[in-house]
Amino acid sequence: MLNRSASLLLLLVTLAVSAFAQQTTTPAPPAAAPAPQPAPPRTHLKVGQPAPEFTLTDTEGKEVKLSDFKGKKNVVLAFYVLAFTGG
Amino acid sequence: MDSSPANRRFAEDIGVKFPLLSDWKRKAVKDYGVYNEATGYGTRATFVVDKDGIIKHIEEGRTAVDPTGAYQACNLFEKKKAN
Repeated sequence: MLNRSASLLLLLVTLAVSAFAQQTTTPAPPAAAPAPQPAPPRTHLKVGQPAPEFTLTDTEGKEVKLSDFKGKKNVVLAFYVLAFTGG
Repeated sequence: MDSSPANRRFAEDIGVKFPLLSDWKRKAVKDYGVYNEATGYGTRATFVVDKDGIIKHIEEGRTAVDPTGAYQACNLFEKKKAN
């Protein structure tokens, strides 16, 4: 799909954490009403704004900055949390 | 939030051809507003950024897994180039 644009770069940021980390061993009181699920956060960023700079490490240990691609490539930045689960 | 070595294994498993970055310190998720304080991890999101560093498209939540929106945004670059 992305082969169409040679100038396009896809960056995948994995933010996976163990799904088991959120489990608790303490059962909820039976009479308690289920807590309402908080709405997932929505980004404060808007289309047309500058993308915040970042410096992150790739799989080879090399630092990658968003500004590395400025003036060179369009970037697709995918935040892919829970990369190791089937979710 | 995964370490670089864990990401390397993941990259090998799925055969990615693009950089797979680790946000171990959870800084980028916070800067991009996709960090969930309540759960301690981020939400899935896709940002398309042009060569000038300007955000051209944002997809959040479950639909961010579907690349259609990002694909359409990328097509806009192609059309712009053709004009």
